Amino acid sequence: MNGYYLSQENVKDFISHLMKKKTVYAPHAKADHSFVFEEVVDADNVILDYVRTLNSIKKYFMPSREVMLRYNLDDNSYSIEDVEPVKGIFLGVHSYDMQAVLRLDHSFSHGNPEKNYLTRRLDNIFIGTSFTPDNFHFSSSVNIQPHKTEGFDLFMHKTDRGYVLEEVTKTGSDLMKGFDQLTKFHGEYPNSEHFKSHLYAPQEKLSKVFEESYDNPVWHEIAQKCVGCGTCNLACPTCYCFDVEDHVDLSLQSGSRERRLDSCMLRGFTEVAGGEVFRDRLADRIRHRVYRKFKYISDSAGEPWCVGCGRCTIYCTAGISIVDIVNRLVSDYDKKQIVQDSDMIAAWD
Amino acid sequence: MKSKPRVAVFDFTGCEGCELNKLNFENHLLDILDHIDIVEWREAMDDQVAEYDIAFVEGSISTPDCVERIFDIRNRTKVLIALGACAVNGGMNAMKNKQSLDTVREIVYGEDKDLFPTLPALPLSSYVTVDYEVHGCPMTQKEFLQLLTSILAGKKPVKPDYAVCVECKLDENECVYGKGMICMGPITRAGCDALCPSFGQYCIGCRGLVPHPNKEAMINILIENGLSIDDAEKRMDLYNSNEKDVVLI
Amino acid sequence: MIKTVNIKPENFKELYFPTLAEITEVQQFTEKEKWYKLSLLDGSNLGHYPGQFVEVSIFGAGEAPISITSAPNSYGSFELCIREVGMFTEMIHKMKAGDKLGIRGPFGQGFDVNELYGKDILIIGGGIGIVPLRSLINYILDHRQDYGRLIITYGARNSKDLLFPEELELWQSNPDVEFHQTVDYGDESWKGNVGVITTLIPPLDLDLKNTIACITGPPIMYKFVLLTLQSKGLQDDNIYMSLERRMKCGVGKCGHCQINHSYVCQDGPVYHYPDLKLIREAI
Repeated sequence: MNGYYLSQENVKDFISHLMKKKTVYAPHAKADHSFVFEEVVDADNVILDYVRTLNSIKKYFMPSREVMLRYNLDDNSYSIEDVEPVKGIFLGVHSYDMQAVLRLDHSFSHGNPEKNYLTRRLDNIFIGTSFTPDNFHFSSSVNIQPHKTEGFDLFMHKTDRGYVLEEVTKTGSDLMKGFDQLTKFHGEYPNSEHFKSHLYAPQEKLSKVFEESYDNPVWHEIAQKCVGCGTCNLACPTCYCFDVEDHVDLSLQSGSRERRLDSCMLRGFTEVAGGEVFRDRLADRIRHRVYRKFKYISDSAGEPWCVGCGRCTIYCTAGISIVDIVNRLVSDYDKKQIVQDSDMIAAWD
Repeated sequence: MKSKPRVAVFDFTGCEGCELNKLNFENHLLDILDHIDIVEWREAMDDQVAEYDIAFVEGSISTPDCVERIFDIRNRTKVLIALGACAVNGGMNAMKNKQSLDTVREIVYGEDKDLFPTLPALPLSSYVTVDYEVHGCPMTQKEFLQLLTSILAGKKPVKPDYAVCVECKLDENECVYGKGMICMGPITRAGCDALCPSFGQYCIGCRGLVPHPNKEAMINILIENGLSIDDAEKRMDLYNSNEKDVVLI
Repeated sequence: MIKTVNIKPENFKELYFPTLAEITEVQQFTEKEKWYKLSLLDGSNLGHYPGQFVEVSIFGAGEAPISITSAPNSYGSFELCIREVGMFTEMIHKMKAGDKLGIRGPFGQGFDVNELYGKDILIIGGGIGIVPLRSLINYILDHRQDYGRLIITYGARNSKDLLFPEELELWQSNPDVEFHQTVDYGDESWKGNVGVITTLIPPLDLDLKNTIACITGPPIMYKFVLLTLQSKGLQDDNIYMSLERRMKCGVGKCGHCQINHSYVCQDGPVYHYPDLKLIREAI
């Protein structure tokens, strides 16, 4: 596969080239200092050098709100909402958000392959871009380097003067046809960035750490600080739990059944009719969330279900950090090992 | 054709803003009137009747006279719906409950204080059974319409039991804490579609607290973001003086 | 590398589309519990196993998981017994024969009737827990020669709360069934046992090696029933139990019913107790 230099001046033309092929979705500025993925109308408004977007591109495949059914109350007739493939070019996606999509693919195809999500996922093209980690990114700790190309069709490695554009798949190469403002790149693609935030254990060890951490006091300690607002789940690119609600239209004759993203941090999440709440304690909900990221799914899928984007930490108004929680568990685990080892040595003596 | 439910509207201690909000349903007013007969509504008409199917009640209960009237309304109506913060949890009025009633009367009425008997400002549910509640100061039209349509269709109305933060994240809003604002969203009951943060404003908590709130943690957040302990507690009390519920850590 | 199953669009599943069913019969058992017989309008058979559940759907109100109480049959009808515990079930309680409901399912793992083959079956049902167990009881009665003893223990709060009154009498009088019932609170009309369900278990004479206990009841009951069975000497391997959780989607996606790594709507609601012991949050 080929690689090309793409100078900063040519980026706009490149975006215009893409816009002729398909609808392009890319990062745009929002409010004072945030970024969001939006459909590109004017290539000038695209910002490829961004820290992270508020929500990940998950929102295109699993919208935060989605009508599932429409019904008529007079005769109990109902119809399913048609779901169409997004068929877009996703430009400027960071590797951790791509990895999150691959994890969602697993979750939605595993067991019962869900039509809504999987249909939207059809026929999309992904163009990655590398990022400079801030204080909150820790994706390298979960095997996701800023230059990881898995899942992408093209990848734009950021350099001082623009980008090195790497063709990753045949689809990516085909996309380049007709765009000639490029010179061939020969050499090694950049592949490392400096991270300021780290988990102190790889997944193989985390799996063991989490086996020993169920009764760690950290869950209770964090619960003192946590307001249980659900922001961490809702900002997470790999969370996909949802709730379903019915609404009746003002005509009183028709209505819709709508699903919306939900959060296992919310008290009502496990509430059954009659009022019993199965994870009533905030500490239990926090534990459940973190275990879902590093243990429950990871044990069978083999990878952490956290992609190290830092959203849950940066958006937490209570200042709770998932990195701090995990590192605390690792350190408690290590201490326990040392004690056990010294006990063994003592027993030998 | 089935006869339309007879609806009455009443107000107690409050600003009547929720009622005004109802009169402002320009686009939907005719649709609503297709389904109901408004038989009594002081703010909009002169008629008075003996019985109703649905009573919408705004305001908190704060005088002996209020108590008598709310029991009377309860006896005349099949369904009673509390409209807005004052009726649902006492709202802002309940701030007075933090002081002695005598002091409060003196501040408001001075020498004439003995002419105006007063009670702690309490929600309707402290005195009578409330069938449904619409939170907010003022309540939002969307939620009012959702409740009304659900009831009229004989269905189960949906009432959010989670925080405004949820709606903010679903709408992909930038968190206003990042702008240096102090927002009550993390602990305030959703249902308003995060109206204020969606327009770049902070949430003042007008919809009351979520069930089982972690108040201590919220006060810490407020203090971490620059409020004094005193101001943090005042901010918590603004709409929640009557809230007693606590979280299970 | 995440292993994503490569699925062709023709294999994508429409998971949330209910099928309409008509209520054909209603019977009120107690103040709070009603029994419904339903048939799918498309003429198909529900095709369930004892212990499975369906998502019952009311347009405008939503969905709720409900246990199937009838034994599998080939006539195309099935039965639900529904306790009124909230607005949704209150709406179902207002429905009558001829009214229509949406149904999705059946979902989940029921009691493995093949695993139970040839065994003595000890049924332990507390309160509304008898509802899914009745499906198993009637299945065993329909295939009586395939199973050993059928011992039914059933406890309710008081005599007014006993469900399936006609069938309780049939079980009582059936020489092929050992039937024991109790109520937590007795009254003048009640001549039987008084006490919680665990009081029925110690006097039973069981062939421990060949007995399988199938338990369903309110969450609080499990701990005590397990202790009683253990002190009786029954091995964990011989215990199956059904859990209640908020099964919202029924297809292992929405997350509401998850306990530790397990989705109750997929791995349960009926669990083999040795598996359940690994799920710390379960009991």
